[in-house]
Amino acid sequence: MTIAIKPASNPRRGRHKETVVLFIVANQMFAVAADSVHEIRSTDSIAGAANEIDNPELPKVRHTLDRSGRTYYVVNAGMHFGLPVSRPALVLILRQFRAALLVDRIDRMAEIPGVYPLPLAFTGDERRWYRGLAYLDDSVIPVIEPKGLLTPQDFQRLDRAHREAQRRESEAAVQA
Amino acid sequence: MSSIDAAIANAKENSFVLLQIGHRRVALPAAQVVELAPPVRLHTFPHATSLLAGVIVRRGRVVPVVDTEPVLGGKSPLSHRFYLIANRRVGNESELGAIPVNGECELASGEMQPPGMDRPAYVAGTISVGDDSIDVLNLDVFSTANSAAANEMHKAEARQ
Repeated sequence: MTIAIKPASNPRRGRHKETVVLFIVANQMFAVAADSVHEIRSTDSIAGAANEIDNPELPKVRHTLDRSGRTYYVVNAGMHFGLPVSRPALVLILRQFRAALLVDRIDRMAEIPGVYPLPLAFTGDERRWYRGLAYLDDSVIPVIEPKGLLTPQDFQRLDRAHREAQRRESEAAVQA
Repeated sequence: MSSIDAAIANAKENSFVLLQIGHRRVALPAAQVVELAPPVRLHTFPHATSLLAGVIVRRGRVVPVVDTEPVLGGKSPLSHRFYLIANRRVGNESELGAIPVNGECELASGEMQPPGMDRPAYVAGTISVGDDSIDVLNLDVFSTANSAAANEMHKAEARQ
């Protein structure tokens, strides 16, 4: 399955209407701004483009994905948010950010009237995870911050691990 | 406006709202209390902050709900689902916070005495109501509490 999402012509921020993709991980609904998602693929359809990456320091990233000449790091959303183990079936490939998100399923796309700031009382990692909260159909849904999936240090670490994996792979190819 | 809300609106200095949380009867300065909200839906989502149960939406605002159970003990007050909404200080700013209560609140007057040296951080002081000495909660501590602080509060509670 492939769903291509066109970027919004005018990215909106704050308490303005915006279109989001609602997705589910371990029975918990999240939202992500539609204009930050490049495409949505099933895990089956990208199996050939995915490679394992060995990085014990970041267990939430176990695969890379090569798309259009770029390497994306695939973040398991359940592990990222500390949720129970689930069966992810879709990958949200993000735009302008070398990360993809493994999720269980897409609920739908929706227009939200705005994003409420996360109350100041929340002081943990969720301040990095979320842009804020959306109120839709009598439910409060966290709106994820794509940049919060991986820190610059995480990227450095993953880039090192990825280069190392590539080096090992080419050595093995030469020996073969 | 409920009678307790009307009382809160007319509250003066040295007025306190007495509430039942779990098995504990505690007090909050009435000036801090905004309203007693009906049992609206508690929304939960993954987060890493101790002592927060989730949020409620009240009058178009998202209000974080303090989970007092780990600190104050007793049967989960979340089952009661009335919410006392009060102002709390978070760092240098102020925002609303909600505490699950069983809905039984009353107004009392008295002069708050400083807490004893052995009292946990969430006790701002005590007031005398009849023969009882009732702890006045310091909600700000709940807003800044991390796991370590929560554990400290547990231990302090266990020592009593």
